[in-house]
Amino acid sequence: MDDQACPRCKTTKYRNPSLKLMVNVCGHALCESCVDLLFLKGSGSCPDCNVPLRRCNYRVQLFEDAMVEKEIDIRKRILKDFNKKEEDFATLREYNDYLEDIESIIFNLVNNIDIINTNKRIEQYKKDNKEAILKNKAKIGREELELEEILEIEKLNEESRRAEIVRIEQEAKKQKIREKELLIDELMFADGDAKDILTTFTQNIANHKEEAAPILPKVTQFSTGVKFTRGSGQQPLPIIEEGPLYKYEPPALPDRCGPDPPPISDIIDKGYLQHVRPESETEKAGGYSSVLPCLRALQDALSGLYHAS
Amino acid sequence: MEEPITRYEKIDFLGEGQFATVYKARDVKTDKIVAVKKIKIGSRLEAQDGINRTALREIKLLQELQHINLIGLLDVFGQKSNVSLVFDFMDTDLEIIVKDSNIVLTPGNVKAYMIMTLRGLEYLHQNWILHRDLKPNNLLINREGILKIGDFGLAKAFGSPTRINTHQVVTRWYRSPELLFGARQYGTGVDMWAVGCILAELLLRVPFLPGETDLDQLSRIFQVFGTPTEEQWPGMKSLLAYVQFKYCPVQSLRHIFSAASDDLIELLESLLALYPPKRCDCTQALKMPYFSNKPAPTVGVKLPMPTNITKMELEKPSLKRKLLDNIDGGSLVKKLQFDRI
Repeated sequence: MDDQACPRCKTTKYRNPSLKLMVNVCGHALCESCVDLLFLKGSGSCPDCNVPLRRCNYRVQLFEDAMVEKEIDIRKRILKDFNKKEEDFATLREYNDYLEDIESIIFNLVNNIDIINTNKRIEQYKKDNKEAILKNKAKIGREELELEEILEIEKLNEESRRAEIVRIEQEAKKQKIREKELLIDELMFADGDAKDILTTFTQNIANHKEEAAPILPKVTQFSTGVKFTRGSGQQPLPIIEEGPLYKYEPPALPDRCGPDPPPISDIIDKGYLQHVRPESETEKAGGYSSVLPCLRALQDALSGLYHAS
Repeated sequence: MEEPITRYEKIDFLGEGQFATVYKARDVKTDKIVAVKKIKIGSRLEAQDGINRTALREIKLLQELQHINLIGLLDVFGQKSNVSLVFDFMDTDLEIIVKDSNIVLTPGNVKAYMIMTLRGLEYLHQNWILHRDLKPNNLLINREGILKIGDFGLAKAFGSPTRINTHQVVTRWYRSPELLFGARQYGTGVDMWAVGCILAELLLRVPFLPGETDLDQLSRIFQVFGTPTEEQWPGMKSLLAYVQFKYCPVQSLRHIFSAASDDLIELLESLLALYPPKRCDCTQALKMPYFSNKPAPTVGVKLPMPTNITKMELEKPSLKRKLLDNIDGGSLVKKLQFDRI
């Protein structure tokens, strides 16, 4: 590990113990501070091969050989699209050919052999198998979910088993203490022969042990393997609580202590508006209407008429 | 009169605005949690005019208004030259809920918020008052899921034939086109437009028309609703600050709100009509099919809340909570801002 060094600034692991080498898709390593320096703007080109790179694609180098990192990158990218499974092929032979194809594509890309044609091949494959790729992607997602589900179940089982063991142990300890106390009490206060008491107690304990039947673990699955609680691996739908539907109710009118003013339709039709200044065009364009002051004046005039001192 | 300074025990500092500082306090007399808004005196020049104008508006109007969907003014007290207003304590506001990416807003939630807003506003308009500063930030929500319209600092009576109003009201993003064109006489339309913008924001989860300047605001409006012609908006050109805008075609709201139902689009179109007389009022809006159709509005207590606010304890606290309380009760209480009501 000591000969790890940044190819640009030549810092080694020895001189800078916190040295972290990072790689990008081209497979050329740089140390963290060089990445910071060169990719200040977020993008730049690799100092080794001048390939334009983005800073966010840099990640910490896990393997000593940067070429391995590069291959991992490429493999990841290729396998995202070349995601057919053995079931998708009629014969094993075809499947093997397909795998061979993938390997040769990856090999070409890693070693810069005939890049243009290889890329063309990938594009062609993508175009031809668009639907199958999408379908397989969804399938993989489902499989992962199922796997997670299984792991979850195993974890639960494990936990309950452990809790059970702890419980049994504690129970046994308590039982022992209780028996001991009982025995001592008996020996202290009973009138019988000490030997007899001892033998009856040992027999009792032996009987108890036989009685303690093995406790069955709680059943969490149907015999078909479907869990009781969750549906087949899908998130439960959020329950939408249905309240009562809304119905319009006019707000309670304040007690005006007087007759009600005429409705707006009457104000417009029955000539009330002749007594207020009609709105100008500008005012109307602003949303003002002479109905407003008219209604307000009528309300003001009529309210309180019934008031008796 | 009892000494108000001792009546309210300060618990927490809530926030500071241009004109006031808000504290959370406990009313010793009723043991209720309240919000105390202490009005700043301001510079000497402002103090010459007497009490701050926005505070005066709030006191004047709110004292006479009583509605479940309007913030309640519980008390007003003076202390030396300060004036403090005591309001219902509200846990959160719509802005926080809209911005909280952990919260999912269902169609039922949106409907419930709209109904509560419109009902409060309907009562306000019926009493001849315009709010003139509606925005998500001013729609306060408590942990029971009740929405109350707050901040009446810009509210004013309307319907006077002679009085001129200023058009420099309403936070820009929620300002209606007639105000942006400088209308000095307007009606309930200015509030309805804001309600439309709030509804759009509830659906999009980002401000619908975030204009950077007044002119940018207008151009954003017209980019969506199309530049109005003189036939569509008679008298538009006579408005004080009218500016000719370049022609923009109308966009279908259906494309912007792709997940909205037909009845919801109908409501949006009616709330956000460019020509003010064509805009619906609260009563018309509440009578539209959107509100009576399914899905039903969410019941108050089931409305979402930001995670840092514990909901009304409906059931017994879970076992886990009890255990946690036992471990380190003191620090937990502080962290969760737990209050007993």
